[in-house]
Amino acid sequence: MQSFRRFDRSTSLFIGLLIVSFLTATVDVRSQGAGIGDTLRDGTQSLFSPLQQAASVVTRPVVGFVDGISNIAGLTDENERLRDRVRELESQVQEVAGLQNRLEELERINGLDPPGDVAAVTAHIFSVGLSPFDHIRWINRGSEDGVVVGHTVVDEDGLVGRVDFVHATTARVRLITDTRNGVGVRDLDTNETGVIEGQGTGPLRLRMFTAAEPIEEGHLIVTEGGRYAPGVVVGNVAATAEAEAGFSLIAEVTPAVDFGRIDFVKVLVGWLPSEFTGPVEPGDPVPEAPEPFQGS
Amino acid sequence: MSGKHIAYALLLSIAGLVLQSTLFGESRINPFGAAPNVVLVLVVICAAYLEPEPTLLVAFTSGLLMDLLGGSTIGLWAIALVVAAYVTLRVRDRIDDGVVVVAAGLIALSVLGHAIFAIASTLFGEQVFADPGWYRLIVLPSLYNLVVAVILIPMVSRVMGGRQVRRLV
Repeated sequence: MQSFRRFDRSTSLFIGLLIVSFLTATVDVRSQGAGIGDTLRDGTQSLFSPLQQAASVVTRPVVGFVDGISNIAGLTDENERLRDRVRELESQVQEVAGLQNRLEELERINGLDPPGDVAAVTAHIFSVGLSPFDHIRWINRGSEDGVVVGHTVVDEDGLVGRVDFVHATTARVRLITDTRNGVGVRDLDTNETGVIEGQGTGPLRLRMFTAAEPIEEGHLIVTEGGRYAPGVVVGNVAATAEAEAGFSLIAEVTPAVDFGRIDFVKVLVGWLPSEFTGPVEPGDPVPEAPEPFQGS
Repeated sequence: MSGKHIAYALLLSIAGLVLQSTLFGESRINPFGAAPNVVLVLVVICAAYLEPEPTLLVAFTSGLLMDLLGGSTIGLWAIALVVAAYVTLRVRDRIDDGVVVVAAGLIALSVLGHAIFAIASTLFGEQVFADPGWYRLIVLPSLYNLVVAVILIPMVSRVMGGRQVRRLV
């Protein structure tokens, strides 16, 4: 009898928690990430970001070591002959190489010139999405550094994503690979415009609604402006495609950025998206007629 | 079981969240484009040590924190983890059936958790299934979860004092 009552209680709680979860999700969707959801995210981020940043420092060598090991795994035949001491030394070398890469990346990203001399802040990625469905990054720059929702985020290779949540000292970047992201783009060779849609782990999908001519493999795709700073390299067309009568042209685009490798990024704080309604500082430069922007 | 054990379970879950967001995932340890879900594993393991109601509350809190720290709509991971915890409570008597059953059960619960999340996400307008590799994002983490569980089970057992609640008392 007692067991039956306990079963009943846990089932009731289970159903209650499901209802609460569904209601929370509905409220969050309806408020489009603002309101109580935003406040909760802000509070949680305040509590967790110091922990995550500290943990990131501790786990970085582990990630570097595993990265090094996985690189070594590709050379299995040679490595089988290596002795333990040699393996140890190699992993140390890998760690040093990883550090060197990070340094070089930081130097490159600090040396790049954003489009139209837009002011930018360099940020470090300290945390990633919590599940394979999350195509986000957390950076160690926030509203105190001038970052607002909508800012474009780039690295030395091109477009990374867009800031979609800002805390005082941190911000969340939604990558262009996220299925919820759409980027207005232009094919630099044909000058046709279209929209890039994220497909998660797959390549980016380019849709051109009024394309009059085919697009060729290798064409450079850059941002058009609007929600993203214009002239930023998004990627290259992966395969030639042409529109069929009455349908939009659809092609796959290989992103310029290797999302598995980014560690540092730049937030273009001097450029504001067209839908931005917040305060604009006088003298904020807005680029005109940009050149394609890719790392120097 | 005492309030101390519930607090331990919550602390383990928070530690799992921090580890998950800094050690695993894209740009981190992410073999074949997927990573284990440490929090899900911890919730399932803790279900063997806690009474039903605390288990569900720990799962809900952990899921909510995952939503708040991740990029998804708030409540979706809470749904997934509460469902996974509830199913774990229903089947945890089978722990005595041996390692193979436990391993298969853990994989199945992981698949269930990720699938529930993917379906709930779709219901709330997130295009999870637009990702051509969506099935990989459900299956691979579930296999990795098994590896992570091998490491975590002794750890959780030590923290919880090794006393399992195996039946719905």
